[in-house]
Amino acid sequence: MKLSALLFWAAAPLAAQSVAGRLEGRMPAAAIPVVDSLVQVAAGERLPTEPLVQKAIEGGAKHVSGERIVKAVEANLVQLRTARALLAGAGDTAPAAREILSVVAARKRGLGDPVIARLVAALPSQPRSAALHAVADLEAHGFQADSGANLILEAVRQSMSGGRLLDVAAAAIQETQRGHTHDEALAIVRAELPNVPTAPPPAQAAVQRARRPIAASGPPEH
Amino acid sequence: MNPLDPRLHQALDGDGPGGNLPPALERQRARLEQAAVLLATGRESPSVAARVMATVRHPLPARRARLLRWLFTPRAIVLRIRPAWSLALAAGILLVSLLPAPGPQLPLGAEEGIAQFVARFPGARSVSVVGSFNDWQPDQIPLEDRDKDGVWRGVVVLPAGTHEYMFVVDGERWVPDPLAGRYVEDDFGRQNSLLIVRAEKR
Repeated sequence: MKLSALLFWAAAPLAAQSVAGRLEGRMPAAAIPVVDSLVQVAAGERLPTEPLVQKAIEGGAKHVSGERIVKAVEANLVQLRTARALLAGAGDTAPAAREILSVVAARKRGLGDPVIARLVAALPSQPRSAALHAVADLEAHGFQADSGANLILEAVRQSMSGGRLLDVAAAAIQETQRGHTHDEALAIVRAELPNVPTAPPPAQAAVQRARRPIAASGPPEH
Repeated sequence: MNPLDPRLHQALDGDGPGGNLPPALERQRARLEQAAVLLATGRESPSVAARVMATVRHPLPARRARLLRWLFTPRAIVLRIRPAWSLALAAGILLVSLLPAPGPQLPLGAEEGIAQFVARFPGARSVSVVGSFNDWQPDQIPLEDRDKDGVWRGVVVLPAGTHEYMFVVDGERWVPDPLAGRYVEDDFGRQNSLLIVRAEKR
């Protein structure tokens, strides 16, 4: 544990140093130092830095002004801080980067902090990303967030996890598309747990045409 | 064919005691003996003889015609096979039909999955997908419209997890995926589509 902490402290400044080079040519040059400093602040606070770099690159690719890119990166830094605080408040005092990013994504999708905290507290020892997205899926389709969380937590109690939780949300949404009310849909799926349909895998023919995206090696051409 | 009564058989062969048969069998014996006499003295019909001779005198058809006739004449084929072998053959055929078609497959890592992108952009000259998985670089992952119906498709191996993405149409128009179902604000006044990739090796 001490060794990993030492490595983390050693790696954080290195990660911050490499950002300016990655951003060069991909966003307005004048904004790079500001973004770089924000990334270093995040690294200093032991927050994930890659989302900030990605946001700056995204803004550059979308031909957004440097000022707006800086604002977006600042907003994302705040999101990371808020997410970590939310996790800490729910009992996860040393969250992994992916957990912080899961909470950021859930909040961006409109999931309320109380529901997020409830899910985090209920799932102390497993990845929460799928559960958060499953509840966000339900809420996006008109379900009450608390009712959706109840269903997903019931599925977890029945040993479901990961992508299967997304299947549970999809099954409930499908029941509403069949004409059931939201409450009826939740009741139907709850009664079927854990036997909800699995998302079909991609067809063999499609897999053969799959391409692996090439890692970025230089500035974009545009 | 009805089996011949053994007593009648013996009477016809001259082995049994004649005249002791029941009346029904006696009548049957008389008819059979009359038939035997007719067969022994009968002559072939002239019409039959004529047909046989016509066939015999007819010249042999050409070799090609005989071959064609042989090829197209229905014939009974008797296949003698042990039931055990026929069952094994049927099981083999079933197994081959049920197995997935072999083909080159990309080796997927434990934390990788497959994402399929489908979008309808009629009249577009090019469509590509950009996202957090390729540093938002257009033209790196182009979609294809092979049958020119305006529906663009692409399949990509991605790390399992959540990815934000958009489509770039004709190299300049950035649009979210209308079929994504999940969206997040992009902090630049628009929305990104959200993709959740599941690890293929579950």
